[in-house]
Amino acid sequence: MDYLFDSSNWEWVFAGRNFMFLLERFLNNIVLALVTMALSLIVGLGVALLRISKNRFVAAATGLWIDIWRNLPVLLLLLYFGLALPQEVKELWVDNAPGFLPEQIRGSGQVIASIIALTVYNSAVIAEIFRAGIQSLERGQGEAAAALGLRYWKSMRLIILPQGLRRMVPATVSQLITLTKDTSLVSILAIQELVSAGSIVNNTSGSPFGGVGVPAPILQVYVVVGAMFVVFNLALSLLSRRLEVRERKRSGDVETVTGLEDQISIKPI
Amino acid sequence: MDRLVPIIVNNYDIYLSGLLLTVELVGISFAIAMVVGTLVASLRIAPAKPLNWIGMLYVESFRNVPLLVLAIIFSAGLLRAGFDIGRLSSASIALGLYTAAYIAESIRSGVSAVSKGQIEASLSLGFTYRQTMRQVILPQAFRTVIPPIGNLIIAMIKNSAIVAGSLIALTDILKVARVVNSRTFATNEAFFWAGVGYLLLTIPATIIVRRLEKRFAIKR
Repeated sequence: MDYLFDSSNWEWVFAGRNFMFLLERFLNNIVLALVTMALSLIVGLGVALLRISKNRFVAAATGLWIDIWRNLPVLLLLLYFGLALPQEVKELWVDNAPGFLPEQIRGSGQVIASIIALTVYNSAVIAEIFRAGIQSLERGQGEAAAALGLRYWKSMRLIILPQGLRRMVPATVSQLITLTKDTSLVSILAIQELVSAGSIVNNTSGSPFGGVGVPAPILQVYVVVGAMFVVFNLALSLLSRRLEVRERKRSGDVETVTGLEDQISIKPI
Repeated sequence: MDRLVPIIVNNYDIYLSGLLLTVELVGISFAIAMVVGTLVASLRIAPAKPLNWIGMLYVESFRNVPLLVLAIIFSAGLLRAGFDIGRLSSASIALGLYTAAYIAESIRSGVSAVSKGQIEASLSLGFTYRQTMRQVILPQAFRTVIPPIGNLIIAMIKNSAIVAGSLIALTDILKVARVVNSRTFATNEAFFWAGVGYLLLTIPATIIVRRLEKRFAIKR
């Protein structure tokens, strides 16, 4: 019990640059989550359009594709791509990564493997969110567009997507929360981020207070690491709730698409 | 992928034991999650503000923290603090407490989906809070709660890889894939079979949940 309440253990977390170091590394998680989300939205939209295709074979094959990736653990995908992605692709990333990304994200070839793994998984989830958003629209919308002489793509672009996309905003933000949590898993590929930063802080030899011989405060460091995720994700979920309320007021919609830990449902509001 | 068959033929026993460990881990964690989740949900809907806040604090902190961080806290963190609770229990406590936050939210939204008029009606009929809960609200909430809980079991199967993976000595099916990979260098094949193992659990579960969703759908 001494260990839990010994204040020097907590002071360790805030000693020197420890806390700032953790915060700086958290930026890597956020950047990774945002990059993956941007890619997943693009890929997910394409997959969703194939999923609602009128061609039954295409729709069924895409459905299978979505179900397979969505039902595998993210960790399995991360490990697989980390091990199986050819070295050339990883080098290609290190040589050509966009300059605005943080140095540690640009510098590791494993980052591209983790972006691919996270995108494969999340684009399948996002595709389901898109589909739920589009299918939650009343049939009459598509029929009216067709009756007005709009072709498939035009009615998609002008009528269906603008409405469906607005409905999926809250679910997308909550998927971003899940994704931010999942970025902690890339530490397994030796990418520098918050969780691995936690173990670096723990490995700092000796306590800045009583000198050497003090056991590293693993518990306290990871409680602080967890708290950083909680603060960021809480801000996101407040945003998501705001958007939901605003959407309801503006459109008078009766339904919105919500996501709960990768599961999508259409809920009446 | 040319060694697809030999890999599973030579290693089916460890893949099977890995799969069983995954199932065991999910089973224990689910029991923890249901007990804690129900408790937290009752805190959240209890007619007393401080209790609601405690429930909310639990839900918001456990659901916004990465499971990996929880797993580290409950394994290495507790061990350093002097509590040696064993690998399987720290893994299942981490996964159970994490999922409990989601279970609590599902139960809470199931209960609040029952219309207020029902509560008022049963209170005005002279039912106590307990009787109202037990005889009016919970039986109705049950139907709306079943599908989300099914979805959470699927999420738990996937998340079990995280808690087992961060505690090195738990050989779940993903860990088996890593072992086979390091032994044979057949990365594609080793992970393919682990993926098949997970899909064997998650896809049937998805189909069952979809059926239940249809069955319990409330038609208005």
